[in-house]
Amino acid sequence: MSAVVPPTVAGGAAAPAGAPPLIVEHVAKSYDADGRIVPVIGDLSLNLNEGEIVAIVGPSGCGKTTLLNTLCGLISADAGRICWHGREISGQPAGVGYMLQKDLLLPWRTALGNVMLGLEIRGVPLSDAEERSHVVLDKLGLHGFAEHYPTTLSGGMRQRVALARTLVNEPDVLLLDEPFAALDFQTKLLIESDTARLVRESRRSVLLITHDIEEAVSIADRVIVLSKRPTRVKAVYDIALASDRTDMIAARESPGFVDYVRRIWADLDVARN
Amino acid sequence: MDASARFIPMDAPATDDRAAARLAAHRRARRRATALVLLSQFALLAAFIAFWEYMTAFDRQAAFMFGSPSAIAGFLVTMASDGSLWRDTYVTGVETLLGFAVGNVIGTLIGLSLWYSRFVSRVIEPFVIALGSIPIIALAPIIIIWFGTGLMSKIAMSTLSVVIVALVTSYKGAIGVDEDQINLMRTLGASKFQIFRKLVVPASLTDIFAGLKLTVGFALIGAIVGEFMSSSEGLGHAIFKAGSLYIIPKVFAALVATIALALLLTFLVGKVEKRLMPWRRLG
Ligand SMILES: Nc1ncnc2c1ncn2[C@@H]1O[C@H](COP(=O)(O)OP(=O)(O)O)[C@@H](O)[C@H]1O
Ligand SMILES: [Mg+2]
Repeated sequence: MSAVVPPTVAGGAAAPAGAPPLIVEHVAKSYDADGRIVPVIGDLSLNLNEGEIVAIVGPSGCGKTTLLNTLCGLISADAGRICWHGREISGQPAGVGYMLQKDLLLPWRTALGNVMLGLEIRGVPLSDAEERSHVVLDKLGLHGFAEHYPTTLSGGMRQRVALARTLVNEPDVLLLDEPFAALDFQTKLLIESDTARLVRESRRSVLLITHDIEEAVSIADRVIVLSKRPTRVKAVYDIALASDRTDMIAARESPGFVDYVRRIWADLDVARN
Repeated sequence: MDASARFIPMDAPATDDRAAARLAAHRRARRRATALVLLSQFALLAAFIAFWEYMTAFDRQAAFMFGSPSAIAGFLVTMASDGSLWRDTYVTGVETLLGFAVGNVIGTLIGLSLWYSRFVSRVIEPFVIALGSIPIIALAPIIIIWFGTGLMSKIAMSTLSVVIVALVTSYKGAIGVDEDQINLMRTLGASKFQIFRKLVVPASLTDIFAGLKLTVGFALIGAIVGEFMSSSEGLGHAIFKAGSLYIIPKVFAALVATIALALLLTFLVGKVEKRLMPWRRLG
């Protein structure tokens, strides 16, 4: 079997059994800024297991977004291997959902129309796509807002629609790039909890980039701390909290929480980076 | 304001009536502001006409040079009753509309499809700029040789004065699409054509309509310049003929019809825009 597989086959029935959804080995990436080579990702290895939520924190500008774009095939790595479900892939991997801080909703589509986008692109029959989108919107507390245009929705609701647009495609893996960074604290806790609940009940895997250490500790099973540019893994924390892991408030109140936050904060300390 | 008011029933049904009252008050205030603007515009126009009438009423020289509102109105009435006003407006309207449509369709199609290839757009860029900088009146003699002195040459003039603007505005709209939005489409598995159809084209509508509004005037200029060169009917013909006979109020009368035509076409474009982009009214 060749190493390069068309994206549509990846993650399908033929995937090697037991392979973790994502393995990253010695990935490096530099940008060419006006003829000057800027190394952004130094030498980075990590993996993401099935049903696991991994948070990545790192100083701003260290290459987190670059890493995510490399993983989902929007830019190519200079070196190293990226295996989705045990396979190296050229182009976009299938079964991967991607979400940014910007909701990127299309203003000319209603909430429902936005959620349907991915299904439409994949050629799912319209009535089927509509039904599935309604189900996901309802799960995210947006019942009754399906016909609203994005401009009439609040920031939190828009981000929920964006989350629904990601989840409706039933991705095995979600790549999230600071998706809740622009939301106010309360909205953020609610959406984080909903995300954790929906993701954990269907055993999807999540790679969440964030600059919010509390968010990372409260939601993730593992937190990876990156160094500044050229970035590499600086520390890894397995988060063991006794609380319900789909309740962000409970997580914040559980005994080990503050300790994790302090240690990660110390790792991230700008002066010692 | 509209949006938050819409959410109130869900959060707090008790304040429903108060919210509705606030919304109604807000609407009334907005209508009052609009009425005030309209009234001021009308007053300004009336003052200008009165001043014009007064300055030309007792001065035959001035009346000859500048016409007078009453004389212009008189010409409008005679032109309307002998049918020439309607005929000329109709002819120029058809030329303008056809030139507008052909120019915008061709320009927009080329402009949008240039999004497909950075290479092709870079190759043709200097040619587009060169063509765009030609004053279309300089083309008129050639156009008449190629297309004759009838309707076709006016449509061609009108098309030419529209097409480059339509091309440039739609291309700008297409390449201005947010890179992150394109990446999102790619991660959803969209092909290049799907990105074009589902993202680039609708995202460019705002710029396309800005171009449409701009090119109403250009289409009209093209048609009228075409009529100046050679014609037997149309508003441009009426203006040219009255001008060469020094009947200045008649020139103005035809000009009034030209302005009315431009306003009508702009209004129609605005209507279509609202129809095609309902989400723009929210926000
Ligand atoms: N297309 C690009 N060309 C050149 N440099 C880039 C490009 N994109 C990002 N960079 C640089 O790479 C570094 C990492 O960027 P990014 O991955 O966005 O960081 P983060 O998401 O961690 O804040 C930054 O210093 C940024 O200026
Ligand atoms: Mg970033």
